[in-house]
Amino acid sequence: MKNSSHIKGIGFPLPVAILMRTGYIISVFSASVPEKTVTLKNVQTIARKEFYHLIRDFRSLYLAFAIPLLLILLFGYALSLDVNHIRTVVVDHDRTDLSRDFLRKLGASPYFTILAHLPSAKAATLRLDDGRATLSIIIPQGWTKNIRSDRDAPMQVILDGSDPNFANISRGYITAFIEQFNRQLLQGFLNRQGMEKIKQPVEGQIRVWFNEDLESRNFIVPGIIAIIIMIVGAMLTSLVIAREYENGTMETIRSLPVTAGEFLMGKAIPYFFIALTDVLISVLMGQVLFGVVMKSSFWLMILASSLYIAVALALGLLISLITKSQLVANQTAVLVTYLPSLLLSNFVFPVINMPKALQLLAAIVPATYYIKILTGIYLKNLGMAHLWANFLVLAIMFMFLAALNCALLKKEGL
Amino acid sequence: MNWLSIRELIRKEFIQLFRDRKNRPILIIAPIIQLLIFGYVVNYDIKDVRVAILDQSKTRESRMVNDAFRGNNIFLITNIVDSYGDLEQLLLQGKVDMGIKIPPDFSRLIRKGQSSSIQILADGSMSNMAFLRLSYTMTIIDGLNRKFLRELYPQRMNYGKIDARIRTWYNPNLESQHFFVPGVAAFLIMLLSLLLTSMAIIKEKESGTMGQLIVTPLKPVELIIGKTIPYIIISLTQMVVVTLFAIFWFSLPLAGSVALLFVASCFFLLSTLGVGLFISTISSTQQQAMMTTFFFMLPFFMLSGFIFPIANMPLVVQWLTYLNPLRYFLVIIRGVFLKGVDLSILWGQLAAMTALGAILFASAIRRFRKRLD
Repeated sequence: MKNSSHIKGIGFPLPVAILMRTGYIISVFSASVPEKTVTLKNVQTIARKEFYHLIRDFRSLYLAFAIPLLLILLFGYALSLDVNHIRTVVVDHDRTDLSRDFLRKLGASPYFTILAHLPSAKAATLRLDDGRATLSIIIPQGWTKNIRSDRDAPMQVILDGSDPNFANISRGYITAFIEQFNRQLLQGFLNRQGMEKIKQPVEGQIRVWFNEDLESRNFIVPGIIAIIIMIVGAMLTSLVIAREYENGTMETIRSLPVTAGEFLMGKAIPYFFIALTDVLISVLMGQVLFGVVMKSSFWLMILASSLYIAVALALGLLISLITKSQLVANQTAVLVTYLPSLLLSNFVFPVINMPKALQLLAAIVPATYYIKILTGIYLKNLGMAHLWANFLVLAIMFMFLAALNCALLKKEGL
Repeated sequence: MNWLSIRELIRKEFIQLFRDRKNRPILIIAPIIQLLIFGYVVNYDIKDVRVAILDQSKTRESRMVNDAFRGNNIFLITNIVDSYGDLEQLLLQGKVDMGIKIPPDFSRLIRKGQSSSIQILADGSMSNMAFLRLSYTMTIIDGLNRKFLRELYPQRMNYGKIDARIRTWYNPNLESQHFFVPGVAAFLIMLLSLLLTSMAIIKEKESGTMGQLIVTPLKPVELIIGKTIPYIIISLTQMVVVTLFAIFWFSLPLAGSVALLFVASCFFLLSTLGVGLFISTISSTQQQAMMTTFFFMLPFFMLSGFIFPIANMPLVVQWLTYLNPLRYFLVIIRGVFLKGVDLSILWGQLAAMTALGAILFASAIRRFRKRLD
């Protein structure tokens, strides 16, 4: 029989093979029985089979845990969008006490690292060209004389603009630094005029909320959890049904007495637990290694994660069902799950700056809502009262995808 | 070396790739979509920062504060609220990025020549954006101070101060696309060449046709050449398509030499094909190969300076990035595109990348041959 050779071919453990064969035999007899609803036993059987497959493919399993670890370590230790140690070269044509004082203060700031004092603007250009420095400051001759005689003293500041984020922030730092220096000059001027009592009329009292130390780590750790779930959840499951098609075992499954819902649930359950474990690992590492702590409820976070995992799995299975080929499924999964979660979810790039079309696209990316919930829980101490709308959107997404999956599978004859 | 049989193997590989209708979108459409998305997504411009104002003073001075925030395209006053609680709610719900509270005694203090403070509440969730918003806020407050001082002390207030003439080179308008699009080009050929090589070989293993290939009179070297050349051709074609797209769609200036770009791409492929071959020797199923590829891709991608500047990383990690071929390729491709620099500046990068590629490729081939024997 065609059937049994297939089962042997992919080498299922004996009990599963027997189960599947009995399933086949039963299906022959129950072909006329009307379709049943989901039974736990069938789900369990499919889940067990998928689980065996995972265990046998040991490396995929441990990579499913290693990838989150790697990501968290990378983002926690190595990667940061915060700018400090701007590599600076300076050219001082003036060589006075004031210019030396200016440069000393610049070098003492944690944001700038003065790499070299160069003799000419040309040498500074070369450093910018080959990328060894990203900021060059040129103090012209007569600079101090201008300041001392109460005139504006021009100074050239050249920024490497190739990385706009970096350049924008560097520009902010250097402007702030110069303004501070100017305030000192103003104070000196006022003192000389005998008006030292003058105070700044407006004082900006800045308070930063949610991420008091302005550490990018505090929003990156929650964001990375969303990415991890998409990678592990959607990318792994995207291969699951495609594999059955490639191996020709879809025929066998079609002949089993399982309903579409049972089949999908069974396929998803092992991956659900893997993804949930990944969430726990990430939460724990974020807390222990990087001190990123949840301000709101842990269980709310688990609830949100479970819902989001369900969406990711349903999406992965849908890709698998449509593409029916592992290579295509994988590429599609990268394109429709991983990249949007990374790019369109407000994780690294602000959605509000994007063109309208992409903003609309961002509105259907599940990670957008999950990250909103996570930042609410991690940074803002929000509860269900504020976050329910995001939960609702995720739930609707899940139901829609699940229904679509079932409908497609039914069309396939399951 | 039997070139005829290599040619046949290459032809077989192409037929297999393009016969499957579903492969075509991956090879052609996916890179373009990725380029488009990346090109438009990455934008750190600070504009339309949503501000809510709570004005408890309602005087001429407090209206000057309002006007100062209104009179530019960076801030956008979206809400005017009556109570501190409303301000907090708007921030909590993420409806505004910043809240400003002007206290009741604001004008009284200023008219008396004293300091009066306005409270600025900022949503710090995205730290880099928050920092920029705050530094613009400080600039606006500095401007306000100058105005108030001029009113209070009409006498001469010219003092010597630094007038910083800030110029931005290479990407004067700070267009994010100019920075990211060349990077995406590099990333895409890396992703595709890596994945396609490893998957192509694993597919033969999985479907059992690897055995057939081994018993043919092909020598291992010929087999490797035949298996990699198609992907070199595909990757280079994609490189050309992506570059054309960058120039004509995103109107990127290609300031440097095309020939240098092409040579560098070829040498870069040495590394990615090497890693692809290596992954194929350690995986037995497509799922494994895919996960392993992803595992390699992530650090390559993240530790290359593509999004996250290398200078910000801890020193040990910075040393590690010297082992990353993408790092060198990014410097080259950005240098050629944006700065228009030539080999006299880039030779070091090119040499390092080629050496790394040669080592990776040679060791992958050795391993692959051993597996075949």
